[in-house]
Amino acid sequence: MRPDPQKMLQWIKPSPPTDKELECMKLLQPGDYEIYTEKLNNFLLESKEVFLKLGVSSMLRSGDLVTGIYTPTGDMVAAWCGTYLHAVVGQIPIKYIAETWINEPTVGCKDGDIFYLSDPLYGGIHNCDQIVVMPVFNDGELIAWTNAAVHQPETGACEPGGMPLTAKTRHDEGMLLSPIKIGENFKLREDLVEMCVNLISRAPRMQAIDMRARLSAADRLRGRLVTLAQEKGNDFVKGLFRRIIIEAEEGTRHRIKEWNDGYYRGVTFVDIVGEKHRLVRNFLTLHKEGDQLTWDFTGTSPETDSPQHCMPHALAANVAIHLMSYSFHDLPVSAGIFAPMEWIVPEGCMFNPHFEAAQSNSAPSCHGAMTLGNICMSKLMFDSPQRELVAAATGNTGVGVLVSGTNQWGVPISDFLAFGLNTEGHGARLDMDGVDAYGFSHCPTGRAPDIEDIENEFQFFNLVAKLSRDSGGFGKYRGGSGTEVIYVVNYVDYALYNSHVKGSKIRNCMGLFGGYPPPTLPGIEVKNTNIWEKLKRGDKDIPTGAVQLISERTIQGDYEIGSIFKKVHIMKNGDLWVIFSGGGGGYGDVLERDPGMVMEDLRKEVISRWTAENIYHLAYDHETLEMDEEKTKQLRQKEREDRISRGMTWDAFEKEWSQLRPAEEILEYYGSWPDGRKTREIIRM
Amino acid sequence: MGTKRQITEYLDIDLEKELWCCNRCGYVLISARENYKKGCLVYIRKDLNTIYNSPVKGPFGFAPDPTWAMLVEFYCPGCGTMVENEMLPPGHPVTYDIELDIDKLKEKHLLSGTDKQAKK
Repeated sequence: MRPDPQKMLQWIKPSPPTDKELECMKLLQPGDYEIYTEKLNNFLLESKEVFLKLGVSSMLRSGDLVTGIYTPTGDMVAAWCGTYLHAVVGQIPIKYIAETWINEPTVGCKDGDIFYLSDPLYGGIHNCDQIVVMPVFNDGELIAWTNAAVHQPETGACEPGGMPLTAKTRHDEGMLLSPIKIGENFKLREDLVEMCVNLISRAPRMQAIDMRARLSAADRLRGRLVTLAQEKGNDFVKGLFRRIIIEAEEGTRHRIKEWNDGYYRGVTFVDIVGEKHRLVRNFLTLHKEGDQLTWDFTGTSPETDSPQHCMPHALAANVAIHLMSYSFHDLPVSAGIFAPMEWIVPEGCMFNPHFEAAQSNSAPSCHGAMTLGNICMSKLMFDSPQRELVAAATGNTGVGVLVSGTNQWGVPISDFLAFGLNTEGHGARLDMDGVDAYGFSHCPTGRAPDIEDIENEFQFFNLVAKLSRDSGGFGKYRGGSGTEVIYVVNYVDYALYNSHVKGSKIRNCMGLFGGYPPPTLPGIEVKNTNIWEKLKRGDKDIPTGAVQLISERTIQGDYEIGSIFKKVHIMKNGDLWVIFSGGGGGYGDVLERDPGMVMEDLRKEVISRWTAENIYHLAYDHETLEMDEEKTKQLRQKEREDRISRGMTWDAFEKEWSQLRPAEEILEYYGSWPDGRKTREIIRM
Repeated sequence: MGTKRQITEYLDIDLEKELWCCNRCGYVLISARENYKKGCLVYIRKDLNTIYNSPVKGPFGFAPDPTWAMLVEFYCPGCGTMVENEMLPPGHPVTYDIELDIDKLKEKHLLSGTDKQAKK
């Protein structure tokens, strides 16, 4: 029986310590906690390396993965992150297995067993995220669990790529595994591996290899924990694990208590529902009182007949990425962090849909909520000892560019092009610019794959891969730049391509304290090109960027400029397209940006001349690029005066603003205007 | 600084007077128990090409579609600093983003140790 969504949400919090665990904590001598916590981190690092070296799919190779250590009752003790969200939800299937299968005679749990799952209804994120779980026994006692998880970019769904935009229910999403025992005696059962490979026949090689990579990582970690228990004893391990969880909880409570009590709110908007451009909103009220945080998502748009949903536990896990990489980054990556937190996610909203709902786009559906967590926490932390952690939102575009077909080696593939995914811009901070092309919104440590590797693995030529000018939100400190990539279909007659990238109409990334949000992202395709002839001739006018491509049009072909979000379609040999990864949000008023930093951006071509002059109000010599400080001061003072003269009083603003409303068509899935309440029932086949 | 607490990059709260003030020029915006945005000058930026100079014109470019989004900018009436902005669909209510428990804040920073003990 599937676990109840509210129960799964509670399962991300730690279980209360047992008397035995508290007793075992006394076995730790001074220095043991520090030494053995670090030892666990080394085990995790090693298992991550094993994972990284054995797998083949692009997100795996980019390091967008996790390996984790959990108590016998399933509480997270430590994890290599990687994908923080997977570490958090990793607790749920273990708690489910512990509650359901251990004492079930037809299943049971013994040394050498291997469990496997991918279904969000049992604790995963979405159908693509496959998780292996292994019990750790020493001297016949269950002392821990290990796991290894990574996104598998093919699931046998109704479209290639595992995240079908046309999915109306979970039955359109391909393989969904509830936790099953997929191996015994430390070996995978080949009949069950074959079942999975058969279900994922668009990319069987990746499935077969990556399953083994997951298992190898989890088993390496298991082996290290057994050695530790043999050296120090099972009770020592129990005491160490509980101490880590308690340290994290106490550290979290202490920190929260120092912050100002109150309500912190934010709203973001997403421009895609299923295959359509439609508006939905995410709303967060973060309540801080004493040493407690309550995350209330009431006001978020209702569920739809699209795959842009997630379960409440997945929402919490995605918001936790910011918590674990910023607010509590120096505490153990453990369940203790979640002890002082409550989550309110109303039934029927897009973050808590009916169990039959499609949710293959679960992770991208959380990007707006991730921005909200980031922004509300920054507003909460400004007047606190954690002020240095205040930052605008990261890009949060989720550059899901999926390709499929047969590659130049004759191998069927269905995978992400992970360069854009792992090169979003970082949010600007209160004392510095955001990092350019910093990583992946779900995985701060993710790294863009090498271009040569991409061209070797896939049937594409990379004409351009570089930072995208003017892509970070402007501000006193600017958001990190995103990137732009131009892909050309190479070697083969055709390839299939689709894109889940959002933000062509409105971005779900926010600036902070007057910093601007980053720009929207158009989709650009050029078909029937003469690119190969031009390259063969050695033409000098090959474009080196997206703007040059569409402005100068030196490549002949049929230009299409539309949404960056694309349904699956065919691209022929020589056809090309542009993918942008989003820049991060800006911080603070543009008029306070150090003119010297604007000049530096200009020299590096991170911003355009138009932006330097019209946004930052910079005066400079166009020939020598020397700044005129006095004139800049005057221009900025003039802009301040212009603001005061064009600004309206609140009452005048309200009078004008309240008359406006978006077109009815784009509000099809929004819910009631403007508060996003449910207005209709969704009937699923 | 006196009894002022800096709450955001550009906003202080005067705890004794319970007022939002501009951190840069000291201009008094509004009661600290209200949404500070109501004390700002507000500008509706309808054409976002004025921020994101998009070389692509039409419904899909580098600037948000104005039928989907407008930028609401909040300025300090005293010095013209942009205190905050919000990207909103046309007509969507402005967010009451920071609602502090003013009594607790005053207790935290104004009461002496003895007073805090007595209050407990």
